[in-house]
Amino acid sequence: MNINLAIADRARAGEALTPAELDELASADVLSLGMLADEVRRARVGDVVTFVRVEEISGPPSRPEAATARSRHSSPEISRAEADASGASGATGAGEVRICQMPATLSETIALVEQVKAGAGSCLVTGFSLADIVDRSWGDLAEVLTQLKRAGLDAMVEAPLDRLADAGAVLQACQDAGLKVGCLSLQKPGGVERTPMLIQVRALAARFPWLTTIAPLSREQSVTVPTTGYDDVRAVAMARLALPGVPNVQVDWSQYGPKLAQVALTFGANDLDRVSVVNDESLGRRRSSVEDVMRNITAAGFQPRERNTGA
Amino acid sequence: MDLKAFEQRIESGGRLTADEALQLYRHAPTYWLGRMADGVRRRRHPEGLVTYIIDRNVNYTNVCVARCNFCAFYREVGHGDGYVLGFDEIARKIEETQALGGIQLLLQGGHNPDLPIAWYEDLFRSVKQRFPDFKLHALSPPEVLHLSRMSKLPVPEVISRLIAAGLDSIPGGGAEILVDRVRKLLNCFNKASADEWLEVMRHAHRAGLRTTATMMYGTVETDEERIEHMARLRAVQDETGGFTAFIAWSYQPEHTERGGVEATGIEYLRTLAISRLFLDNFDNMQASWVTQGGKVGQLSLAFGANDMGSVMIEENVVRAAGASYCMDEVEIVRNAEDAGFVAKRRNMHYDILGGPFFREHAVPRTLELSTAREAGDNSVPAELVNYPARSAAGKRQRSQPPASPVA
Repeated sequence: MNINLAIADRARAGEALTPAELDELASADVLSLGMLADEVRRARVGDVVTFVRVEEISGPPSRPEAATARSRHSSPEISRAEADASGASGATGAGEVRICQMPATLSETIALVEQVKAGAGSCLVTGFSLADIVDRSWGDLAEVLTQLKRAGLDAMVEAPLDRLADAGAVLQACQDAGLKVGCLSLQKPGGVERTPMLIQVRALAARFPWLTTIAPLSREQSVTVPTTGYDDVRAVAMARLALPGVPNVQVDWSQYGPKLAQVALTFGANDLDRVSVVNDESLGRRRSSVEDVMRNITAAGFQPRERNTGA
Repeated sequence: MDLKAFEQRIESGGRLTADEALQLYRHAPTYWLGRMADGVRRRRHPEGLVTYIIDRNVNYTNVCVARCNFCAFYREVGHGDGYVLGFDEIARKIEETQALGGIQLLLQGGHNPDLPIAWYEDLFRSVKQRFPDFKLHALSPPEVLHLSRMSKLPVPEVISRLIAAGLDSIPGGGAEILVDRVRKLLNCFNKASADEWLEVMRHAHRAGLRTTATMMYGTVETDEERIEHMARLRAVQDETGGFTAFIAWSYQPEHTERGGVEATGIEYLRTLAISRLFLDNFDNMQASWVTQGGKVGQLSLAFGANDMGSVMIEENVVRAAGASYCMDEVEIVRNAEDAGFVAKRRNMHYDILGGPFFREHAVPRTLELSTAREAGDNSVPAELVNYPARSAAGKRQRSQPPASPVA
């Protein structure tokens, strides 16, 4: 194995690696890095891969009852672990209704959350990037978040670290408002240096133990210079190895596609976000979204478990 | 399974039996397969190069009587979307290819009953007359067999006539899985049985041509049959040494009669790795980025691949079945270098031609592969009237005066 064995042992033991150690690990050959990340992941979270089916709402829902019907098997009381154990989110229901577009004003946003919540039935409602909320400058952040929570928002979708000047303060405001955050994420391609970002995440996870998920692959991709496969799997593996306090390393199934997302599972990822809620079986049951994700997880040597947001 | 013993055997250059390969393919950990395949690749190519070729995949016709049920590209004889490219169209594609540094066409097409061997010979001669140094990597074994059957000429004679007209090498298409049980289920047994496919390649190698070998997996075959396919290729390679490379890709199910699902990325990497271990007499393994995408395509370089295949410029067959990935030369080179290799251009014989073309010439970026024709272009090449058609539809078409050009 072309890897520093002493550093590998410290990673296995869940110790906090120094920036120099992280840099050295990151320079190991991609197979050695992947093997180590896979070993650490199996020791830490086992061989289960969770996935969540997300019903995405880009504006006021035209038929709120439709969301209710599709999510009838989901329950806000079901935690991730309970969903894992019981499979309670079912074969047809979304694990989460996610509001993807933010209206121009706070009052419109609150109204949208209320409308979606009314239509979502028992399904968890998430929405928005914390960075977008901050950018709107709608007043005291904790107060804005509290109003969104009161309107029915169960969790923010994400906190993109490369867009938050003071991520600690923003997450504190979330905590004060009683709102959790789906994941720490990165938005811009190549926007941050990996090692300082991982050190920052480690500090945030220590301060806010409810932060349980990192999505290490950026939300935006350059059309002309996309990240490479090596870039992506290294980012996933390093997130697994650098963050012993963050149990879930997540990859966006819709954005990255089955090929890369599946391979990422063998490099330390254990959770797939944004599986389509449209379970079209017109081309055969095996082509449906749930069967497709489960087939890919199983073929990678893991056990699939559908989950809700666990918010 | 004693992986340590396998490691020692593989590292000392020992050969795997088919049973051993099957055992490893089924049960060895993916990372173990990757590390072993990477080791073999390093020993065979210690200079740290990753090669690629700049060429263009041109499908001269989509009309086909074979009716393979895994194909989304073909059109039946007489279908309104059926086309045959004209000699001038192909020449324009070659000019565009040369402008991007391209040196050959990968020229394949359907089994069109209305294109006699003379059409192919005239096409090849026309290409060589206009572009003397340009290479033709053309006509997979089933196409050669189709010409043999149509012209009632033995395969060696067809090959020798095509070589005389300008054929430079034969692509390994149409192999699918070289097991007749599978070929019958895929409805491709009649276009070429496993023995027939291999025999065409033997004749080509004896005639002095180098060829590639392929495998399309993920339809109805078993793991044993994938290994049997490789074993048959390995045996021919022992005999002739004529294969330059092995290329595996996964069946693309969209819009096909067969339907079903595509094998996963991990299955691709495992298949690639076991092929590197089992096909110990093949120098080159290509990464199939066109079916796996650029990211898994790049990761193939850690699982035994040493070649990124073709810049391609144009692609029609895989796209028809749902995959539309694109990597221009800039991307292929960036991916190879990012993985720690030196990227070099090659020709069909894997001779190194030099560094990246785009670093010495102003080349526009390509973010989407071209297609054979623009949608709605149903034009019929003028020269087709010079060749007798066999089908009723073809005879009708050729008896009609050419349509007036639209003002």
